[in-house]
Amino acid sequence: MAIKQAPLSPRLSIYRWLPGMIASIAHRGSGVVLVLSVPCYLWILHGMTGSPQDFDSAVALLHSPLGRLGLWLASAALIYHFFNGIRFLCLDAGWGESRDMMRNSARVVIVIAAVAAIVLGVLLW
Amino acid sequence: MSNMIKLEIYRYDPEKDDVPSMQSYEVPHEQKGMKLLEALNYIKWHIDGTLTFRRSCGEGVCGSDGMNINGVNGLACITPIAGLKQPIRLRPLPSMEVIRDLVVDTTHFFDQYRQIKPWLQTTSPAPEHERLQTPDERAELDGLYECIMCGCCTTSCPSWWWNGDRFMGPAVLLQADRWIKDSRDEATGERLDQLEDAFKLYRCHQIMNCMEACPKGLNPTAAINHIKRTLLNRKS
Repeated sequence: MAIKQAPLSPRLSIYRWLPGMIASIAHRGSGVVLVLSVPCYLWILHGMTGSPQDFDSAVALLHSPLGRLGLWLASAALIYHFFNGIRFLCLDAGWGESRDMMRNSARVVIVIAAVAAIVLGVLLW
Repeated sequence: MSNMIKLEIYRYDPEKDDVPSMQSYEVPHEQKGMKLLEALNYIKWHIDGTLTFRRSCGEGVCGSDGMNINGVNGLACITPIAGLKQPIRLRPLPSMEVIRDLVVDTTHFFDQYRQIKPWLQTTSPAPEHERLQTPDERAELDGLYECIMCGCCTTSCPSWWWNGDRFMGPAVLLQADRWIKDSRDEATGERLDQLEDAFKLYRCHQIMNCMEACPKGLNPTAAINHIKRTLLNRKS
């Protein structure tokens, strides 16, 4: 008789997204965005230095919808990563380790970042 | 006719099924304060005897009936039906090999537990009577000793889902912290040496699903952070 491979029980597809899980994945996601945005902006900055025409086209790129979207994404990621980073540092130091504090601090950083992202979106548009 | 409880339960029979499926059941809501395990027992005893799940004490002490309840892990025996959205979706503990229905293979989980040597290790000669602790030293173990190894936290952890072969997981690390903190234990150094590893301990990314899942109200994330700080203190 053939031995069947036992199925793996479902995990990410069925697990409920709780504040802590959202805060953690968003920290990693925003971190990736920030790492990638550094070479992007350095490349744009470098492109500005060649000639006045290069400067104008780089400024045009930054003011285009795509440029504004990029700036919005990088700024929102920076704000989130900054606040949640402080939260993680506090937890590393042993501050706010109660179950309620862990939950509520996750909610607070998510709300701060969401509000900041909306404000930034309005300002940039 | 009392009102009915709707459930959808993960089914898999290795002798018949190629793939798992969800099956619907309806159970009468018999009394106030009814727990989820009672609904499962009702199905097993009155509707469908083939439904398979683990349970023993029925009061949140043995840790047998850990399962995924509406997307979050918990113990069926101490989860009130009243607070659950219906249909109540029940699945086996996540990221485990399914033996049948809600029964999963816990071999690897308990093997990881064995690796941390979860017993009192001493080198000094045994005293005539017991090894004593002050009330304060004993209080250090509060929030740790209550763990029943049900596996709800470990199987809720995405880090363990992806790296469970090497990452010890929240339950085992909470137990490790319990022995690290025990004033009578004389193998603290070896315990810390064993855990000082990029995967065994430091795969924890403070996702905190473990804390949310723990049916005993413990905080494995905090225990893991305590081990990290203990390692840091040892260096400085």
